[in-house]
Amino acid sequence: MRKFVSIVLLAGFVFYFATLTGGLMIPSTSGERSSVGLDILSRTADETGSANAVTSVVVLYRGFDTLGEVTVLFLAALGISIFMKGTGGVRKKVLDQSFILETGSRLLFPLMFLFGIYIITHGHLTPGGGFPGGVVIATGFFVILLTSESINFNKTLMSVLEGLAGLSFIGLGLVGLFGPDNSFLQNFLPLGDFNTIFSAGIIPIIYAVVGIKVAAELSSVVFAMKESK
Amino acid sequence: MVNPILLIIIPLGAAFLISTVAGTLKNSTKYIAFLALLGNVWISISLLPQVMKHPINVIISGIKPPLGINLLVGPMGTIFSIIISVAGILVLLYSFKYIEGEGQSKYYTLFLLLITGSQGMILTGDVFNLFVFFEILAISSYILVGYAGDRNGFEAAIKYLILGSVGSIFILISVALIYQETGTLNMADLAGKFASVATGKKMMIMLFFITGMGVEAAIFPLNSWLPDAHSSAPSSISAVLSGFVIEVALIVIIKFVYSIFVMTEILHYLCLVGVITLLVGEFAAFNQGNIKRVLAYSSIGQIGLILFAMSLNSEAGLSAGIMQVVNHTASKSILFLVAGYMIKMTGSYQFKDYKGIAKKMPVSSFLFVLGVLSLIGVPPFLGFFSKLNIIIAALAAGNVFNTVMVFLVLLGTVIESVYFLKILQIFYIGEPVREGIKEAPFTAVFPIALFAVVILLGFLVLPEINMYAGSAAAELFTKIQMAQVF
Repeated sequence: MRKFVSIVLLAGFVFYFATLTGGLMIPSTSGERSSVGLDILSRTADETGSANAVTSVVVLYRGFDTLGEVTVLFLAALGISIFMKGTGGVRKKVLDQSFILETGSRLLFPLMFLFGIYIITHGHLTPGGGFPGGVVIATGFFVILLTSESINFNKTLMSVLEGLAGLSFIGLGLVGLFGPDNSFLQNFLPLGDFNTIFSAGIIPIIYAVVGIKVAAELSSVVFAMKESK
Repeated sequence: MVNPILLIIIPLGAAFLISTVAGTLKNSTKYIAFLALLGNVWISISLLPQVMKHPINVIISGIKPPLGINLLVGPMGTIFSIIISVAGILVLLYSFKYIEGEGQSKYYTLFLLLITGSQGMILTGDVFNLFVFFEILAISSYILVGYAGDRNGFEAAIKYLILGSVGSIFILISVALIYQETGTLNMADLAGKFASVATGKKMMIMLFFITGMGVEAAIFPLNSWLPDAHSSAPSSISAVLSGFVIEVALIVIIKFVYSIFVMTEILHYLCLVGVITLLVGEFAAFNQGNIKRVLAYSSIGQIGLILFAMSLNSEAGLSAGIMQVVNHTASKSILFLVAGYMIKMTGSYQFKDYKGIAKKMPVSSFLFVLGVLSLIGVPPFLGFFSKLNIIIAALAAGNVFNTVMVFLVLLGTVIESVYFLKILQIFYIGEPVREGIKEAPFTAVFPIALFAVVILLGFLVLPEINMYAGSAAAELFTKIQMAQVF
């Protein structure tokens, strides 16, 4: 009986979503319907000085959402560290990694770290930015973690970094409150020369902060999972 | 003028600050949380006179809506901000002694983020921003439910996590459809453009939204997570979850139906769902032996009552609903907080083990009685006036449907009083079996007593409460205009 009911319910859902996808597949026509997106595209270069329109949306037009998303990630990392502490279990015997693997990963780590920093700092010029760059850096830590047993990880430092990065994001936003528009996250710095590294005002600074935060949070997630055996 | 955005930024910043200094300050981080919420209480109350004149529009990033994000702070938002901040700070005070052990700073970080999420959901004027704050609120409550780290808490947290995630996917689909159909995410802009959307799509957007938000608001078929989550969480967290988290989600639904989607044809259905939720909650509570489950099911009943009142399609109903929110926040917080120390003292969740506990914990038991009386709606407590207003508002329409609904609501109240009086009888009759039961500490009794003052002396400021709830209801009842944000 239970199986039957679930199959009926599932079939209903499949039917429903099949009819729904018809509506979803319509390409977002560039008519007057999607006015907000077009408006942003046409004015982002002058208004924000960022060569990458996506970044200007993420950091400035919808910067408040980004602050929220960073907080969601922060929460997720915190939740994992709380829940993983309780899980026990038998630790599997870990074999020593081969020398080549360990050395190789140590060689790779600085390169990955550098690449992450590159992605973060060029977020306002090319595709990329704080979120993907932070993930690249965290992946570097992950590689080290997978290949070598005896890595010492400073948990307090990570939590201090997370907190400081969040505080700087908010601090940068609060400066805007004293600006001409009295508006949180206002771009108060000069826009600089378009398409150069020192341009777009506070956008690269905020993205750097986001990058540090994402890198610290994801690394601490990875280490929390390791510690839980 | 104080910028209302600080209501969101202060607790968020304090949460980050706690994470930064947790290593050096250890357990003193609770005072940071206390100061942050004190700031919130002050700001939200100081905003009230201004928003009564006209709502404040806060532009973020210096970019005007609909391109940027804005906050639209009216009487409704401010009243709920006050409820959230005041209930938050009192429960925080209670947590000072109640939450023990290492790693407390994580508890306070999560607590502040819970407040951040609630404030953001109430104040924001942007649909996607609402989703972001919903996620903050939801994730912090999943974690807090499992904070104690025991088996039950973990199970409840996972259950809540799964149902809540499905709910948030529904909201996300709804937001995506909104953007696809209208090309805007700003609530005021959306309210203007929504009428031109095809009827089928309109219905789909709204149903997805109500279903998703309904999980968090614990509306009847979507509330199976609530009894477990609210009963397994630490009592301080149960108090907040029942006190304002489900109400915040409910008020968002109501706000969308009345002032953004303007689809009042669905209200009859919501009325019915509200009454079903009420009856299901009260009947289920009747059979429970675990005191926190009784309270959790009673919360389902109360949320049903609030939904019923707010779906009456009249300003009087909305105003009565808001009053009932105030009453429920205060009285349910009292009950959960008192129950927390009774569980701690007796070591049992079953209320049959609390025989004669009033002899050992007289103050706590007395406060519990006050909470129960106001929840049932005995005069002259605040609960009496809010329930009376709900019934008057429902009968004002003068149709058979509402009369039947009122009858069912009253039936629910009767059941509610039966099971609560049964518990009170156990408290006051007999001798305590266990030794070593003593009164809860001052940091617990003091905030509970302040909650009791609200419901006990509420009738003295009844005209003021009616006035503020009335203007909040008027705000909810009218469609948001683009002119308000531009």
